[in-house]
Amino acid sequence: MALNGGDEDFEWEPPTEAELKVIQAQRERQDKISKLMGNYLLKGYKMLGDCCDVCGTILLQDRQQKNYCVSCQELDSDIDKDNPALNAQAALSQARERQLAAQSPATSLEAELNSGSSGGGGGLTNVTVPQPRPEHCEGAAAGGRASLLPPPVPPPPTSPAAPVVMAPARPTVCPQPATLAPVLQEAEDAILTKLRWATTQLQSSASLEASIQLCSLISSCANSLRSLKELGQ
Amino acid sequence: SSLIRSISGSVTSHVLQIVSALEAVVLRSFGPNGGQVLFTKDTGEAIVTRSGTRILTALRLKHPLARMVVDCVWKHSRATGDGSKNFILLLASLLRMFQTALQTTTAWRLAYELREFGMMKLDEIICLGVLPYGFCAKLENDPLDTHYLCVKKLLTPFFQTRLGQTHCDMISHLTCEFLMRSRVANNHPSSGLHFVYTNFPALHTTVSGVPVTCSRLIEGQVIHSDFAVHFPQTDKQPVKAVVFTQHVQPKLLGEGDILTVGFEDQAFKKKSIVEFTAWSEKSLQLVFASLQSFGVSVLLSAVKQSAAFLALAAQAEMCVVECVSEDELSLFARLSRTAPVLDCCAIEAVNVATLTFCCPLTLGVQRYECVVVTQFYGNVTTYNWSFFHYDCVLCLLFIYLFMYLLKLNFLFSFHRYVHVAFPHSEQDVVVNLSSLVICGSGKEQTDQYASAFQDSIRMLLTTYEPRGTTTLSDERTCLLTDEKTESASSSAPDLQQHVLDSCCVVPAGGAFEILLSRALLQHGDKYPVSRLLSDALLSVSRHICTQTSGRFSPAQAKVLTQCDGFSSKAVMSGSSLESVSCKHILLQSVLWCATSLLRVDKILYTHVVLNTDSQKSAGDSWDDTG
Repeated sequence: MALNGGDEDFEWEPPTEAELKVIQAQRERQDKISKLMGNYLLKGYKMLGDCCDVCGTILLQDRQQKNYCVSCQELDSDIDKDNPALNAQAALSQARERQLAAQSPATSLEAELNSGSSGGGGGLTNVTVPQPRPEHCEGAAAGGRASLLPPPVPPPPTSPAAPVVMAPARPTVCPQPATLAPVLQEAEDAILTKLRWATTQLQSSASLEASIQLCSLISSCANSLRSLKELGQ
Repeated sequence: SSLIRSISGSVTSHVLQIVSALEAVVLRSFGPNGGQVLFTKDTGEAIVTRSGTRILTALRLKHPLARMVVDCVWKHSRATGDGSKNFILLLASLLRMFQTALQTTTAWRLAYELREFGMMKLDEIICLGVLPYGFCAKLENDPLDTHYLCVKKLLTPFFQTRLGQTHCDMISHLTCEFLMRSRVANNHPSSGLHFVYTNFPALHTTVSGVPVTCSRLIEGQVIHSDFAVHFPQTDKQPVKAVVFTQHVQPKLLGEGDILTVGFEDQAFKKKSIVEFTAWSEKSLQLVFASLQSFGVSVLLSAVKQSAAFLALAAQAEMCVVECVSEDELSLFARLSRTAPVLDCCAIEAVNVATLTFCCPLTLGVQRYECVVVTQFYGNVTTYNWSFFHYDCVLCLLFIYLFMYLLKLNFLFSFHRYVHVAFPHSEQDVVVNLSSLVICGSGKEQTDQYASAFQDSIRMLLTTYEPRGTTTLSDERTCLLTDEKTESASSSAPDLQQHVLDSCCVVPAGGAFEILLSRALLQHGDKYPVSRLLSDALLSVSRHICTQTSGRFSPAQAKVLTQCDGFSSKAVMSGSSLESVSCKHILLQSVLWCATSLLRVDKILYTHVVLNTDSQKSAGDSWDDTG
């Protein structure tokens, strides 16, 4: 920021669009943290002079002298539910998304062929793929987001006398064993890695709160593994 | 041994986090539609409040920056009476704007530019960009009804945000009446505000357990003590009163003192304690003889007098009021144009005050209880335990029910005070003095109403006589001024004086913020800080407009910004006004606070390890703070 226009060392330039988006996202997160902190202050929590070692947020303390980090224990848990390493549902969602992403080029190709062949007056039944609805898809899984399913192809107007051309075999949502196995294996490896890490942490943990969280992580990992095994069978 | 550690992480990010959290706290009760916060003390007592200062000071804050911010808010509120929530909102908006700027400059640089701008340019921008669109409310220029209207329009939004919509009109009207009656004769009209604000503790009485709609004005002064000795006035002659600030019969002997009665002279050798006490009483009788010669019938005392004094007063049929507070006695002396007795043996005419009447005043809910009993039991007019002699079982059940209700009513006890009035004369200090009786459902609620009244007077004082308030801002100006800016700042006080002396008012509800935001934008190219301040003010006006209209209205901003040639009639035709002086002082306070926060580099904590063998000295440990 220029000081009376005379200092060139601090010339200010407006942020780029990308930077603005990052700033906006950071601000929204900070707004959430502030709102939560305000609620807790009104409930009688004490604002301490210390901050969290993990995220740097100012710590609160309840009446029982227990420290509480709003960011780690409330906001980050909303994001952790999308992490497949911590949440079985997220792992399943990621697996399904990958499988559908792998099948989507074949589906769109068939749709295009059908559209071409029915140009003479035929009609198409709706080739919309019934989309499985992931339970927790906000925030995107860590493994990357597959391109989304193709938009539903609207049936073109048909004349009453035109024969209806049935679409070829409707793409099924049932995954093929060949495409699913590597995905499942990958998810299983990730979960096992996290399980090992959690076990190591639990052995060295001295905090009650951290131990409880690690135990819940281990049980989540176990459930995820069970689900993956059931899916693989 | 002592350990020093520093908080990790950026202080600036902590500052924004803290102020944002405080903003989230006060935003809930911001504006006329804002909610109230219920606080419960450890004793079980509940307080419901909308006051920003009250809410912020009740929070448990151990972080030093949070305490510093709340301290700034408290001092500002004490100086101006208003604006605590606006302070936090503006500070939070400003710090958010600074976050972007801090990516390319240092906090110290930004603080320096902010300070420079606040001292050099802000007053000029307000003069040119806001004052022309306001209405000058100087008291000596206006007839009384215009002045009344202006004061009412200033008070209405204040009480709306402080106490809520329900009773704000009634309370505004009551306050206006109170102030209109408290004009100081032959003086500047605003000196009445000074008089009322200075003497407010003695000019108001709180009554708990009664709805606030029962608040009213009563003539004269209420002394918050009861008669120790009382004789009702039978004639309608003016009452003469005298004030004693010390013991009339001084306590000559203390514990462990030894009194030797008699002298070595043979004539006094046989004197005993009886002669001593007789001598002591004789001197007291001489005092009362002197009082009777002046026709005095009321004695006001700052201390508790002796039993002999009370006995002689009863014998002389004089009323005695003891333990009167110093504030009330000084007000009494000022209103009656008398002086307290300094030497009991030399009472003079200047010590004798003339009153229209002096009678007991009972405030409370006693009358309510009697009405309930009488209605049910017919001829019963007093409450006594003979109810239990009734045979009817149903009556007994009702007795228990009403006893329970009456027992609850006894919790709202009544108080007996002394009510005095002064005769009117041309030399009156105050033209038509009245005292305020403030009612409320509970003690805490009543105290809140009382502090709201006092803060409203403080706000009006800041509007009409802001020079007294600027002692605080002047101190800050002195602290911030350094060698480089001394020569350049000579014009700043003149502009500041002009802004403060203008007594300008603008429509309430965000007009000041929008007008100033527009004016600041025009200087944005030359002073980048100006642009940041403009954005912050616009953000605050968005909060205000959201509260009043439910959504931010750019159309409203457009109407306000296209008010070139704005007439004072248009300003006065609105239903509520706010003072430019108050906003100006608020702005300066926020800039000063933001500058101070930006200049904090590091926070150091000291911990002193307590040695179990040595004694703990005061202030050597931070463990128990907060």
